[in-house]
Amino acid sequence: MPVTVETPTEKWAGKVREITLGATAAEGGTRTSTVTVGGEGTMPFLHFEGETPHRPVVAIEIYDIAPQDWSPILMDYWGDVVNDVVAWAKKAVELGADAIALTLRGAHPEVNDRSPEDSARVVKDVLAAVGVPLIVYGPGAPDKDNEVLVAVAEATAGERLALGLCEQNNYRTIAAACMGSGHIAVARAPIDVNIQKQLNILISDMGLPLDRILMDPTTGALGYGLEYTYSVMERLRLAALQGDAMTQQPMICTAGHEAWRAKESKVGEGVPEAWGDWKERGIAWETVTATSLIEAGADILVMRHPEAVAIVKKTIDQLVAK
Amino acid sequence: MDTRLPSGNGQVREARRCAVVFKPSGRVIEVPAGTLLLDAARQAGVSIETPCGGYGRCGRCRVLVESGDVARRDTYHLTADEVAQGHALACQTQVQGSLTVFVEPREAISRRYRPQEEARAAQIALPLDGSFICQPSLRKLHVAVEGPSMEDNTNDFDRLGRDLVREYGVPRLRADLPVLRTLAADVRSANWDVTAVVDDEEPQLPQQWEEEMGETGVHMEGPTRLLAVEPGDTTGRALGVAVDIGTTTVVVYLVNTANAQVLDTASAYNAQISCGDDVISRIIYSQRGDGLNHLRKLVTDTINGLLDELAKRNGIELRDIYEMSVAGNTTMTHLFLGLNPKYVREAPYIPTVNLPPAVLAADLGIPIHPQARVKCAPGVGSYVGGDITAGVLSSGMFRTDKLTLFIDVGTNGEIVLGNKEWLITCACSAGPAFEGGGVKDGMRAIPGAVQEVWINSETLEPTCRTIGDLPPQGICGSGLLGALAEMFISGIIDKGGRMRRDLDTPRVRIANNIAEYVLVKAGEQGAKRDIVLTEADINNLLRAKGAIYAGFSVLVRSVGLTMADVEQVMIAGAFGQHIHIEKAIQIGLLPDMPWDRIKYVGNSSALGAYFALVCREARAALQAVARKMTYLELSADNSFMDEYTRALFLPHTDINEFPSVGRLLEQTRQKGTAAVKA
Repeated sequence: MPVTVETPTEKWAGKVREITLGATAAEGGTRTSTVTVGGEGTMPFLHFEGETPHRPVVAIEIYDIAPQDWSPILMDYWGDVVNDVVAWAKKAVELGADAIALTLRGAHPEVNDRSPEDSARVVKDVLAAVGVPLIVYGPGAPDKDNEVLVAVAEATAGERLALGLCEQNNYRTIAAACMGSGHIAVARAPIDVNIQKQLNILISDMGLPLDRILMDPTTGALGYGLEYTYSVMERLRLAALQGDAMTQQPMICTAGHEAWRAKESKVGEGVPEAWGDWKERGIAWETVTATSLIEAGADILVMRHPEAVAIVKKTIDQLVAK
Repeated sequence: MDTRLPSGNGQVREARRCAVVFKPSGRVIEVPAGTLLLDAARQAGVSIETPCGGYGRCGRCRVLVESGDVARRDTYHLTADEVAQGHALACQTQVQGSLTVFVEPREAISRRYRPQEEARAAQIALPLDGSFICQPSLRKLHVAVEGPSMEDNTNDFDRLGRDLVREYGVPRLRADLPVLRTLAADVRSANWDVTAVVDDEEPQLPQQWEEEMGETGVHMEGPTRLLAVEPGDTTGRALGVAVDIGTTTVVVYLVNTANAQVLDTASAYNAQISCGDDVISRIIYSQRGDGLNHLRKLVTDTINGLLDELAKRNGIELRDIYEMSVAGNTTMTHLFLGLNPKYVREAPYIPTVNLPPAVLAADLGIPIHPQARVKCAPGVGSYVGGDITAGVLSSGMFRTDKLTLFIDVGTNGEIVLGNKEWLITCACSAGPAFEGGGVKDGMRAIPGAVQEVWINSETLEPTCRTIGDLPPQGICGSGLLGALAEMFISGIIDKGGRMRRDLDTPRVRIANNIAEYVLVKAGEQGAKRDIVLTEADINNLLRAKGAIYAGFSVLVRSVGLTMADVEQVMIAGAFGQHIHIEKAIQIGLLPDMPWDRIKYVGNSSALGAYFALVCREARAALQAVARKMTYLELSADNSFMDEYTRALFLPHTDINEFPSVGRLLEQTRQKGTAAVKA
């Protein structure tokens, strides 16, 4: 006797907000392409249950100066291009970046202490050189982050950049800069559902619309707490689907930064032989970290090695195929 | 500033003119219909205080509309009865027709808002009904004994005892050696006209409670001990003291057990604070060298200092105090008695004893009558001690049908849920912030402490009231709670407790890299120095309230209930004379429920010690309550940390748990916020 089996599906009350990065000339910016993420009405890629209207995207991370602490594997791959941020950005786009994530490391007081004005100029140069949307990170020193990102926000008003990082103890200045210049704020919480939600509330309380807040739940690399991030992201997505308006922000994850900090990818000497080929291992580390995050619900991945990017983008193709 | 209430489509029409008469001044003003009553009063030159800036938050602008039509916004400051009588808040009421309004003179208002700390003598209600006689264990019994003769050669002790049985029904009298040594002289020098001071050895539980509470295992009756013999009739005054040993604060009540009257109270910080802020650090300290002895001496000195203060102020001799009733958490009780608290801290967390015996005051170095007994309230376990048993006793929750949530906000927050049938309890570490500890300008709730705070939402200027209306010296628990709520609602701090640094007010400033709000400037209200609330203070307060909220959230859920099932909430703690329930809700310390379901019961631990002192049935009930409570270990419950982080926000990460606060914020936002620096 034939039996009809019905796949059980969940009816969700909410969905993830849609956010568009970058603005074209018609929209008040200069981008030739924009990226829209979010909109998911289901847990990741359950196509039988709900919609996943936009594929996850990959941003390639570049620095405004030659990075001093990157793995030799990365430095070998990129070569001389790291000394010229414009050339680096162009190369990244050629290699498949949906967006560029530019870290203004040179502005750090302990690196080159580049001025906010000069840093803003660097961002303008990169904008002029590529047509994809930009995510811009400050140097990682709270006071300087604020100064630099305010200058960048003003100099690039209307471009709809994503600016970060807004953190629990330092969000007002950056969020206000985003508000005044039409940009998107990246809100980072320390692997904690509640703090992430609190930060979203705080930023939206200032008046920044929710469709201009991305959340960064903080990423651990494979073997370095990835499972914590995974479960926090899962809980955030569940809350979003259950209708909690303050957790419905798309998620951005710095997979490359974390994966290439791991000893397995950073160090090639004095490690067990069983670990195998260093370069292959490093790329695999970033790939597995990023892929896991996609399956946890990441919307934007910030990555570093183009070979890992290629594999991850192929995985995304397969995941979004119905 | 738009202070109008929502009025239809907002089109300007030619409004009716209404005459408003203000009494008792008799001033009259004509205003268009729709004018705010507060504006009308100002135009008429009638002054009405608005510490909150006209947001309907403080209730100080209450007036009585004797006749005429008004439109009013709902307010929690007025009951339905008061509204029916015509009471209204001037800042929340529109003139709709010609009116006669009575404005209370300012002095009357300050009298109404004056705290009642003068009322030291107990207007304390016992949680007892009239169905049995409440009798203290310490009693003075006057007897005129017929002296011995050759015909009646009964010994002195039995002779006294015989009359005590005959006249007062005292069973099985006993006496210690020191009492007997002076007995012969005591009775003869008074010519056998004496007052016997007696104390029950065992507490007694009334039959009715025994039936209500089921099998309690508490002794029903025991012998009576003779403590002293005083010449003549001294039954008018039988002095005892009730002591609450808090981790942060020690409180002593001086009581006349003959009529249950509290004669005076005194409090001080526990001198053990110098050895650590919380019980854990005290226990660690006790394990070093002579640490235990040192801690015991510090708390004894604190208590003795307070006894001296009370004796001096009331013209009494310490020797005349015949009983001490003590309530403290398990660690405090251990340290006071000199018991080693080491295993209280180490898993599996075992106290030496839950029900300590009555101890001679002399053995503890307490200089009251050497025969006086010191009786400690029994505890439940390592982290739910006699202070909570005492709190449950004084709150009366052990005799109610209503599902009751009892919250004691101390350095350790302890929470009890239940009713007369069952009780479950848990403890969480809250820190001393609400007792003024760990807060820059925090202080105990004593005269000179800021206890009420209002902040004008437009000017961001504060209005403070101190205990006793004295020059401000610091801020006590209720003041801290009020300041936190007001700073939050007026937008000085964000929901995360961080101070906004872009506000156009000199009240917010940066000192030593930390933002602070100046509650009182030196010179204001006679203050000798600036009194501030810093961002660090706010963090401590947030953590304290977060721990408490998380604690009871987990406790309520652990028995499969929700907050909506809770029929009444009792909050206890050393906040001061009173706390504003709505402010405690605004900061998310208490659950958002109708205010009439929430009651502040003051220092319930001290009250419980007092009840046990003046009522031996209450002493027995303490034991019954202790046996009845089930202890929930929060550290074994992994949802506590999650709840805690959720509660570290104003009022809470999930605003749906605080709908009334959400509405208030919305209302405040609509009225506009304070100016931002250019």
